[in-house]
Amino acid sequence: MYNMDAYLKSLTSNAVKLSKKVQDGIAENTREFRFENQAHFLETNEDKMREIRQNLDSRYEKEKLDGLKRLIAMISKGRDVSEFFPDVVKNVASNSLEVRKLVYIYILRYAEQEQDLALLSINTFQKDLSDKNQLIRAMALRVMSGIRVPVISPIVILGIKKCVTDLSPYVRKIAAHAIPKCYQLDPAQKDALLDIITTMLGDNSTFTIGSVLMAFNQVCPDRLDMIHPQFRKLCKMLVDMDEWGQITALDLLLRYSRTQFLNPQGRSAAPVTRPVKKTKPVAKSFYSDDDSDVSHHSSDSEDSSEDENHAVDPDLAFLLKCALPLLQSRNSQVVLSVAKLYSHLAPAEDAYKIGRPLVRLLRTHREIQYVVLSNIVAIASQRPYVFDPFYQHFFVRSTDPVFIRNLKLEILTLIATEGNITFVLRELQEYVKSSNKDFVTQAIQAIGRCASNIPEMAESCLGGLLQLSYSKSEPVVAESVVAIRRLLQQRPQDAVVMITQLTKALDEITEPLARANMFWLVGQFCSQLPLVAPDVLRKAAKSFCSESESSKLQILTLGGKLVAQDGTSSKTINLLFQYVLNMARYDLSYNVRDRARFLKGLVYGQQKAGQENVELDSSENENGLLDSNNNDSSELESESLQGGGFEYSDKELNLSEHVRKILLSEKEAPIQENPSHGREQYMVGSMSLVLNRSVSGYEPLPDWPTVQPDPSVRRMAATMEAPGYMNDRTGFGSDSVYAQSRQQNSSSSSNSNTAGSRTYDGQSGAYRGAQTLDKFLESSEEETDSSEEDSEEEDSDEEEADSDEEEESSEEESEEDGDEDDEEEEEEEASSSEEEAILPAKSTRSNGRR
Amino acid sequence: MIESLFVLSPTGKVIIEKHWHELIPRRVVDYFNDQVTKSMAAGEDVTREDVLPILSSPTYQLINIYRDGLTYLSPVTKEVDPMMVFEFLHRIPDIMQEYFGQVSETIIKENFVTVYQLLDEMMDDGYPLTTEPNALKEIVPAPNILNKVVNTLGATTSVSTKKMPSGMSNLPWRKAGVKYTRNEILFDIVEEMDAIVDSTGKAVSCEAHGTIQANSRLSGMPDLTLAFVNPRLVDDCSFHPSVRFNKWEADKVLSFVPPDGHFRLMSYRVNLPSQQNLPIQVKPSINIGANGGKFDISVSLRNSSGNPVENVVLTLPLHKSTSSLTAHCNVGQYMFDPVGKVLRWDVGKIVQRERAPVISGSFGFVAGSSDTVSNAGYNIGVEFLIHSHSLSGLKVAKLKLFNESYEPYKAVRTMTKAGRYQVRA
Repeated sequence: MYNMDAYLKSLTSNAVKLSKKVQDGIAENTREFRFENQAHFLETNEDKMREIRQNLDSRYEKEKLDGLKRLIAMISKGRDVSEFFPDVVKNVASNSLEVRKLVYIYILRYAEQEQDLALLSINTFQKDLSDKNQLIRAMALRVMSGIRVPVISPIVILGIKKCVTDLSPYVRKIAAHAIPKCYQLDPAQKDALLDIITTMLGDNSTFTIGSVLMAFNQVCPDRLDMIHPQFRKLCKMLVDMDEWGQITALDLLLRYSRTQFLNPQGRSAAPVTRPVKKTKPVAKSFYSDDDSDVSHHSSDSEDSSEDENHAVDPDLAFLLKCALPLLQSRNSQVVLSVAKLYSHLAPAEDAYKIGRPLVRLLRTHREIQYVVLSNIVAIASQRPYVFDPFYQHFFVRSTDPVFIRNLKLEILTLIATEGNITFVLRELQEYVKSSNKDFVTQAIQAIGRCASNIPEMAESCLGGLLQLSYSKSEPVVAESVVAIRRLLQQRPQDAVVMITQLTKALDEITEPLARANMFWLVGQFCSQLPLVAPDVLRKAAKSFCSESESSKLQILTLGGKLVAQDGTSSKTINLLFQYVLNMARYDLSYNVRDRARFLKGLVYGQQKAGQENVELDSSENENGLLDSNNNDSSELESESLQGGGFEYSDKELNLSEHVRKILLSEKEAPIQENPSHGREQYMVGSMSLVLNRSVSGYEPLPDWPTVQPDPSVRRMAATMEAPGYMNDRTGFGSDSVYAQSRQQNSSSSSNSNTAGSRTYDGQSGAYRGAQTLDKFLESSEEETDSSEEDSEEEDSDEEEADSDEEEESSEEESEEDGDEDDEEEEEEEASSSEEEAILPAKSTRSNGRR
Repeated sequence: MIESLFVLSPTGKVIIEKHWHELIPRRVVDYFNDQVTKSMAAGEDVTREDVLPILSSPTYQLINIYRDGLTYLSPVTKEVDPMMVFEFLHRIPDIMQEYFGQVSETIIKENFVTVYQLLDEMMDDGYPLTTEPNALKEIVPAPNILNKVVNTLGATTSVSTKKMPSGMSNLPWRKAGVKYTRNEILFDIVEEMDAIVDSTGKAVSCEAHGTIQANSRLSGMPDLTLAFVNPRLVDDCSFHPSVRFNKWEADKVLSFVPPDGHFRLMSYRVNLPSQQNLPIQVKPSINIGANGGKFDISVSLRNSSGNPVENVVLTLPLHKSTSSLTAHCNVGQYMFDPVGKVLRWDVGKIVQRERAPVISGSFGFVAGSSDTVSNAGYNIGVEFLIHSHSLSGLKVAKLKLFNESYEPYKAVRTMTKAGRYQVRA
């Protein structure tokens, strides 16, 4: 019985203990539950700061996490919480991964300020580099390389070297990312880093290679010689890289190609001309199937120089072909990078391929549209034919932001052709109805530009503009009269009819700018308007007092021109002019008074000193006020030049003899520049292009070389043996050769093999590299299957002498596979000797890896 | 190089800031806000959306995107491809959408530790690192009910360490070791119609933009091949990174290993012949006098292959000097927004052989408004939705699965919506 009692007692006490424990647990946890909403971390005050320190010292992971989250919150709000550094660093070796991740974020942020304390954490990272979890290894290296403490750079390099040979491509990717960070920390380590980069360039994992190229671009962008042996491999891997890697790779390959290949356009060819349509099928057959891409190749450029289409270096053609599928990427920068590649490298007849994908990007976010449209403007000003089939996509919607519609208008004027101008014009006239004044102005100017770009359509454009000049809206009238004036200067043959039409509306037009332009027009063409011109002067004289200053100036000029035209024969005109002169003499504006005096002197022959100056001044006035835009500077120049062309040194010169020449000389038609003229000088895709000014850090593309660089350097690819760990192909679900062979049955893959040997067959010199590359890829696939072979090869790699022999023999083996005749064997020997010459570079590479 | 990111609230306050490279002082945000205010003050009809995506300060180029009321601002010091920055910045709200279901100031504040970790993983020292949602979810766990429960009910450290995946998948876009008891994959083909229709009812430009959204819940490493009945219809397309380009080039089939969960498999564009494809016809007539105008807009069904057209909404932005509006409609409801000067007519569903919905009424201008008002053109925005209808007629023929032995449940839905559809009056 007693036993029973005791048992019961212990049971109850246990139960009480248990329930208390559970309660405690629940109480703590419910507190946590409240904390699930992370927003409260954002509210902090001084009391809480003390609490944070306590939390960090706590034994419980939860409280540590709590404190850390608060710290992160304050960092993200931009507050300086570096005072907690010692408390945080203590937790770097925490068992909880969650805690550690937050500690890392904190350390990365403040290590630079607390260098000595940061060193405390290094040991943990070094230990983590050997962790069996790849994410932890990667994280450790990432944090270590991110700590900006110069002292540790040798340790970081050791860490990178360790991770470069990691089996996980993710860790290797992080290692590649660490390289530029280390370089920034300590530029003196460049040589060691270069060795690492050289090793990593041999990596065959599509997961890693993009980051390696990024490191290359950061650390040694000029060492393009390191790319030679990898060029073809990189081209092949392009489709399988991740999207950001593709961007980096395309950038690098673009720069590489600009230094290594000759301009496919030929030295003299101007790309602006529209290629004949029939070139399209030629270009298509050039790329349409895998087998034919190299068949156009010829070893020497002797025969190919006759036909420009075939002058494309086969390696360049290979790059262009490999980049083409990326136009279907969902990443708009990848698409734009390919467009960049094509617009700076491809022959003109291939450029049309980028049109459709770029237009597709117009369906995405507003900001992306902005960049695409800016680039289209630049490309279209050089090669309008790329975009003219898509003119409908550049029609402006009422919901488009201002910057989008201005760019669209500009593109429409650039790509207008005889075929689509009717639609474009109709569309532009629709825009004039908009309630936004700026947009209306832009639209009218666009119509004017269309007309001057396509002379065939000028007449209908003029008709449209004339229609607009009857509009009720004053800005529309003003802008269309200006546009008409500009066009008539280019097309004097239409002037008489148009001006007669315009003057009919003179009484209704009140806009000063429009009136000024009309007076100038009438004056300029007065010889062809013997009836209209004097009548306009009469009307103008009548309304002189109420005119604006710019109109008054133009009326004076008109009068001067009429008198100069008819001499002093016509009494009426003389009287009218003198009337106007008298009015002007008492005008409020000194400009008008000045102009009147000058014209009086000029026309009625008063010779005074200092005429030159007066004349120059006045012509400036005339032109400055004539046009609201500054586009007509050429006119100004022409007039003052022609004025200045006389020999004033002759003191006896009577100016009035030359009055007609001075006043009525043909004025050079203004050149209408697009609003964003000048964009095309920048590299496609760059920020400088979008902003149309050089942004700091902008480097223009190198010019094409004038002499063909040695193409054989790229052949070395065949000798490259990647270490086994680098051959884990991540492109299982992708386009790589490997994936294809996995996808398709064995028969089709063997097909591609035979196709390869067939096409590369009979190619001499430069092509052998490509052939061996194919073989190389095939053989490396086999290697991945058996790891033993790999390790053997690594061994052999280390012994230089052996490796030389082995590579040569393997080279020969691969040659034997394809059926080749004697001639080629000779060439092969030649090539292998070249390889020997290049080999030292390789041996340093293997040293570096050791 | 993308150096820093500031996420700004609609009022221009910093919600979160992240520096990947070096610290950029916060005053750049004040400068940016000034610039935005300045450019918005330039004209009365200038909105936040009209502000240039790249503004310049003396030291920085202020690259910014504006989405869902939030501004993502990234100041850069050196030349960089701006498109890459925009592309990356847009990925951030995309990922947040994927993680939290929606994006707003409150959502970011509620999940800021997760957001901060995401930002940390997406970018390394100014270069994009991991941007695939599937891969990110391996590294930064998404907040879901299960995680919350696990966290609150005591099981802390041991579980979270175990949760750390030991092996990442070889495919950046797919998690390893996915397992479902019920394997299914669903496709949504959504086509949006972009059109500009002139006042006579003729389409000035007209095209269909389609996307194939997929929701994959398949175990293991399935390898799928999706074939279309009529792939030649597709004029231009872009793919998810998982899709093998060369298979499409060669056979016009989509061959891919899908990511887990929601993803956009493909986007495509189809050019439509202009006339017969318009599903509905909007006939506007707007007459404007000096002091106001009258309008009369009717909507009728044209071509929707017998399906009802739903969610029809017409919006008519009126001139800024409009002071009053009266209207009457026989179907649906209308609303006039006196601040934004927009008339919105919610027509609802239109079924064949019912009387055509009509709205008519008049509006007046503020006294003394200029002549330009009476000349201005009007644009009507149109929205609609048609279920199980494809504008282009693109059809899925079959879906084959390789590399796994189970037979998944497969389904395809189609839908047509109005995209940028605009009628000129």
